Amino acid sequence: MHPVDDLRARFEAVALPLMEPLHRVALRLTGDPEEAADAVQETYLRAYRTFENFRAGTNARSWLFTILYSVVINRGKKLKRESQHVRLDMLDEPDTLLGAAATAPADPVAQPPTSIQEPEIEAALRSLPEPFRAVVVLVDVEELSYEEAALVVGAPVGTVRSRLFRGRRLLLESLRGYAVRTGHLKEVEP
Amino acid sequence: MTPSTDHVGDDLHLLVDGRLSDRDRERVDAHVSSCATCKAELADLRDLKARLRQHSALSPVPAAVRARVAQTIDQVDAEARRAPTSPRRAPGRRVAIALAAAAVVIFIVMRPSPPDFVAGADGDLVAYMAGTLALTLETSEPAALEAHLASAAFDFPTRVFDFGMMGYALVGGQAGELEGRSSALFAYEGQNGEDLVCQMFEATSDELPSGFEVRENLGVVFRIYRRDGRTLVFWQEGDVLCVLASTGDPEEAIQLAFAKAVPGGTPEAIG
Repeated sequence: MHPVDDLRARFEAVALPLMEPLHRVALRLTGDPEEAADAVQETYLRAYRTFENFRAGTNARSWLFTILYSVVINRGKKLKRESQHVRLDMLDEPDTLLGAAATAPADPVAQPPTSIQEPEIEAALRSLPEPFRAVVVLVDVEELSYEEAALVVGAPVGTVRSRLFRGRRLLLESLRGYAVRTGHLKEVEP
Repeated sequence: MTPSTDHVGDDLHLLVDGRLSDRDRERVDAHVSSCATCKAELADLRDLKARLRQHSALSPVPAAVRARVAQTIDQVDAEARRAPTSPRRAPGRRVAIALAAAAVVIFIVMRPSPPDFVAGADGDLVAYMAGTLALTLETSEPAALEAHLASAAFDFPTRVFDFGMMGYALVGGQAGELEGRSSALFAYEGQNGEDLVCQMFEATSDELPSGFEVRENLGVVFRIYRRDGRTLVFWQEGDVLCVLASTGDPEEAIQLAFAKAVPGGTPEAIG
């Protein structure tokens, strides 16, 4: 067997079965199907070119998510699509974003198209600023551990934890806002 | 504890994630059972987590995306077969040649000073001591750091040294640069507060400055530099130059390097 064929066979066995979660995360991170497709393609390209360095027994899912996250961040295009602009130095401030996320209007155009069983969840996720959205998607949607998510986003576990908690609070506020707007929940008088 | 004024806060998140110890879980459960606010928040968090988890179901990858990925891999393979000496790096070969040519021109015009890997590695150790060295991943798990570095696409194999048996705990690592060369960096802390920084980068020991002491162990040649109480030990492994920089006992630093060097990995003969 040619070395290329051997590498290809191993890559197909390890990496290709993970395309579905990878694509799903790409959609959630970019909010755009075409951008997600580009990110998945680039992720597999980078993964294949460095697959010789991949050690058997390493967590392939975390490895691919790490590359994907780096690809998405480096492409930078998603920043233009952010409905809110968040300075990194705001991340450790109190929950000043709660109000903004709760009232952020859902964008009816740039919808990730796949199997949205609950459109309000999708809209709420999309309204989350990226640093929070990434960890919520990784931990709560893809069920990575705090440690795995920290590896993917290249941040300390404590930072991931605080972003996750704050992201959930933002999501809950956003969902409550949605419920009020659709008449499923009465607005509580202050 | 007064339920209405002293809520359990982030512990609710840890509870739904199953990250509380038995003792803490009992404490939080006791509070929640008597606090309507926390009870409602816990219910909301559980509901949110369940809905998000369901959200991951049934999202097939469009056929067009699968086709693009397959096409990309086919392309890499085809180019690799045309360049058998360097199969995986073949796609960037033309670019690399152009860059190399440009580098020669720049070198002739600019006449840059040669890299000083000793000063660079020592500077990184000093920065680590000062707490100003930015680690791209903080972890005590060598496997986690290896996976992180694997995604940085180094042109050489990296391996995180595990000094756990020798009393040095891994603190984290960095995919960075040393004197302009891509470098995999690993940072450790000793039991007595010693700082230890190791790096791997593509270079040869011939590029190291003079003023070193030579040691040899199991056929590997070590070049040792001392800087204001800090010790830097360099050795060659194939195309990769490794350095271990330590604030600890110099002899211990040398022994740590002996323990982690790969015998036979160096083409250098002791002179």
